[in-house]
Order: sequence, then structure tokens, then C-alpha cells
Amino acid sequence: MKWTNGFCLICIFLCGTLSEGVNAQTERMIKRADSLFASGNYFEASIAYERVYFESEESVSRIAANLKKAQALKQLGEYEKALVDLRRSITYRGEDSLRRELLYEMAFCAYMDGDPGDAYGLLRQFRHLYGQDSGQRVYLLEGLVLTDLMRWDALSDHLENWVLYFSDDTRLANEKILCYTEILAEKEQQARRDPEKARLWSTFIPGSGQVYAGEAGWGILNAFSQLASLGAFSAMALNGYYVAAVFAGLGPFQSFYFGGIRQAGLMAEAHEKSRRGKTLAAVREFLFNLEEELAAE
Amino acid sequence: MTKPLFVVLLLLHMLPAYSSDTGNLFKAPGGIIGHGGVIAHGHSEQFSGYDHTWSREVDFIRYLIGRGDYRESLFLLERVVPENNHQYDSLNYLTGWVHYQQKTLDLSATYLLKVSKESPVYRKSRFFAAYNLAHDGDAGRAREVLELTDAGSDNLYHALLGLQLGGIALLERDYAQYSSNAADFSGNHHVTAAEEQRMEHHYDQLRDRRAASPFIAGMLSAAVPGLGKVYAGKSAEGVAGFLYVAALGLTAFDFYRGSGPDSVLFVLSASAAGAFYVGNIVGSVAAARRTNQEFNHEMDQRILFDMHIPLRNAF
Repeated sequence: MKWTNGFCLICIFLCGTLSEGVNAQTERMIKRADSLFASGNYFEASIAYERVYFESEESVSRIAANLKKAQALKQLGEYEKALVDLRRSITYRGEDSLRRELLYEMAFCAYMDGDPGDAYGLLRQFRHLYGQDSGQRVYLLEGLVLTDLMRWDALSDHLENWVLYFSDDTRLANEKILCYTEILAEKEQQARRDPEKARLWSTFIPGSGQVYAGEAGWGILNAFSQLASLGAFSAMALNGYYVAAVFAGLGPFQSFYFGGIRQAGLMAEAHEKSRRGKTLAAVREFLFNLEEELAAE
Repeated sequence: MTKPLFVVLLLLHMLPAYSSDTGNLFKAPGGIIGHGGVIAHGHSEQFSGYDHTWSREVDFIRYLIGRGDYRESLFLLERVVPENNHQYDSLNYLTGWVHYQQKTLDLSATYLLKVSKESPVYRKSRFFAAYNLAHDGDAGRAREVLELTDAGSDNLYHALLGLQLGGIALLERDYAQYSSNAADFSGNHHVTAAEEQRMEHHYDQLRDRRAASPFIAGMLSAAVPGLGKVYAGKSAEGVAGFLYVAALGLTAFDFYRGSGPDSVLFVLSASAAGAFYVGNIVGSVAAARRTNQEFNHEMDQRILFDMHIPLRNAF
């Protein structure tokens, strides 16, 4: 009995001592990684955090290290890698605050990596688990994601939730939604350019597709080239140079004609892309201003 | 009775926290040594922040390699300072392997060739170093490496050695040497049997193929524009070339017929036709060379593929 008690005491003592030692070791590693991060040495900091993740046996330390590593990778602009790393911790079911942070960071990295669809899915998970209870940054990110996805109606509802959650002021919410609707209407009112329509115009009236796409200069040049080649064809044919008329007149003409149709479509596509970019930029700016305004309140 | 227990507890308590994992951990001037290994002084302080033994560091680096974090692995590998031959071998092998994964094959070969004969990864390193050299176009050195490699008594290594040497001979287009190597192909080892058969097939293809002659291609295009390209296997280019030259020639003829040889239009169109005609001949010569290069490149890729697969399966 005496021996058994003695053995048990040793075990308890050793467990306590060694686990305390391991914790201290983890603490030291994290501190070191933090200091690397603080000194702007993000690459080495990312390795140091990965080391903590590798060495530590406590899930909380591992998740914390993973999140901090993601911060270092974000500083390096490696959002895709950060997202891949964070996905390792997706099954974590421990502390709520860490899970919230994890989901937010994953959504943020997915958004920054140019995948708003994935970011939206992750934010849906966040909302499913935590409802509307979140900080400004989650609202802002969700707004940006909805903007990139061009889900304008959903963004309007989101704005209402956002303003009401932080100010509880229905008048302010209505005001902001009105402001957003005006921005959207102003940008959307700018003439759209349908690539199909541009191609169709150029098929029947040379150069008109380019003019429709907002590139009058190119339209005139293309129309002139087609006329010149047709003129050359006619002149040669009238002078009896039939073979030359076909090869030196009709040949260039068909190149200018079909090339012009294709060019008109491409120009309309570029115009649409630029118009969409301007709309997105204006809505994003509105969202950033809204966040600042609500934070100030 | 409690006295000895207390002493044991006291002694255990004095051990460092990681003693259970690292065995004979002790500090030495200039660095921290565990199992005899040194992590470069200052660097361990810099990025790990706590004592690391060689084996733990290597474990961590292996873990990073497994994750595909090659930049990070190299960063750490550059900072560890091995103390004995075994550790040098590990360092060189891991560095070579990371470079192999990163497709920097020349560097990979350099490091892998530093692995000593005593290392358990000696043969793997030699085979992969030779493969890297062959892939990088240095078949002669790859052969040298393999000929100096001790394959031991294992049938697998002998089969691999024969296959690799045969592949290198084909890359060098040294058919006599290949026949000599292929005589050792037994077809009995599952790791190399299929590749040995395919190597024979590559040999047949290389031996039976007649290379396109740039001279003949040029002459054919001089006789009939575009025919040289058809001969070189570029039929579409040949037909297009013929149409261009014919169209310009007919245009020139049209102007000649209507305005005579002094006409500006005739001179212009005839010059264009002449330029296209000569260009077509030059293009046909280039097409024949390109066809040969493409064939050789394609064959080299197939040979290298069949050298590579058994290595990945064996190791």
C-alpha cells in the first residue's frame, strides 16, 4: 500500500512538472515568434508559429499559433497559403472566441485571395453559428463580399442589419440604404455596352460597333480600312486586274471586316469590365465610410 | 523508505523539460548539442527561441517538406550546422530532396551527390542525383555517377541500375551502349519490368526513324512552294505557304500581263512574291530541323519518364 501510494505520488508529481515544463516551452516559443512578428520579420515568424503548431500538443495553443501564422502570412500577402493553413483547424470545437476568429480569418483570406464565393460560404457559417453578434469588421467583410458577388439586394438587407445592430437607429438605416441605392443607380445608369450588340452593329455597318463601345477613333479607322480595301478591289477589277483584285483587294477587306467585328466585341467587353469596376469601387468606398461612421458613433 | 523516493523525485525535477524526448541533452560552447548535433549558434535563438536537438529540428524540417513548405525548409536547412558525418548526410540529403521537389535539379544533384556511402539513403541519393543530371541534359555525368554507385547485392538496385544506364544510353543516342545495357534487362523485377519493355519500344522507335533532311525540305520547297513543309510533317503550314506564294505570284502575273514588266504594281507584287517564295524555302529548312527537335524532345521526355517512375516506386 505504502509503495503504491509512493508510486502514485511520483506519477502525479512528474506529470505536473513535465506538463508545466512543456507549457513553459510553448510559451517561450510563442513569445519568440511574437517578437519576430513585432519586428516585422514575418517569414521567420511564420516558421516560428508553425513550429509551435508542430510541437504543441494542446489544441488551444495550436489554433492560436495557426491564427498568428495566418497574420504573418497575411503580412506577406500569401492569402492562399494562410487559408490552407487555417483550414487545418476547421474541426476545432473548443473555445468560441477562437472558432469565431478562425472563421473570420478564413473568410478574410478567401476574399483577399480573390474567391468571394468561398468567403461568402464561410461567412454564412459564421452567421449560422453566431447570428448577427459580431464586430464591425465581419459586417464590413460581408458587405465587401456581397459587393464582389454583385448581390445588390442582399447587400441592401445587410446594410440595414449592420446599421441597426450598431446604432439601433431606423432613420439612419433608411438614410444609408437610400444613399447606397443612389450610388448604385448612378453607376448603373451609365450606358451599358453589350458585346453581342457591338458585334452585330459592326456586322452591318463597318466601324459602328467600335463607336457603340465608346471607341469612335478605332471605329473610323476600321471603316476607312474596309473602304480603302474595297476601293482597291474595285479599281483593280475595273482596270482588268481580276486576279490581283481578288488577292490584293478582297483579301485585306475580309481581314478588316471580320477583324472589325471581333474588335468591336472585345471593346464592348472591356468597356463593361471598366464600368463594373467603377461601380464596385464606389460601393466599396461607401462601405468603408459607413464602417468609419459607425465606429465613430 | 521515503528518503530514496524523495531523492529520485529531486533528481527528476532537475532534468530539463524536454529530457524525456531528447535523451542526452547537454549544452556546449558555440551551440546547443543534442545527439551530437548543433543548431547554428544564434540562429536557434533567433527563430526557435528554445533549445532544439538535431533530431527534433530534422523532424520539424521533414514535417515542413511533407507539407510542401520548401522555402521554409530550405531556410531552416541553411541554418543548421551538423557535427558528424551522419548529420552531414541528413542535411545534404534533405537539401537535395527539397531542391528536387522545387525542380532545381542541378542544385539537387549537387547536394545528393554529397551523401556518403555510409548513409542509409546513399543509393536513393545517387539514383536521384543521376536522374537529375540526366534530366538537366548532362547524361555523361549521370552515367559516371551510376557507374561509380555501389548497388550492393539487392536485385532491385541492380535492376534499377541497368534500367537507368539503358535510359541514359538512349538519351545519348548511343545504341551500342544501350544494347549492352539492355542485355541485363531481365523483366523479372516488378518495379522495372514494364519500364524495361517501354525502353525497348523507345529504342525501336529511335532506331527505325529517319530524320527529316533540311536540305531535301529546302529543295522540295524550291520546286513546289510548301512541299518541303509537307515533307517535314507540317502539312497545314505547307498548304498555307503554297497558297500565299501562289496568290502573290498570280497577282504579279496579272499586273505583268496588264501593265508590262516596268509597272510599279508588278515590281511590288513580284518582289513580295519572291520574298515569300524564298521565305518559304527557309521556313521549310527550319521546319525540318524543328520536326527533328520535336521528335527528339518527345522521345527524351518519354525516356526520362520511364527512368523516373521506377525510382519513385522503389524509394
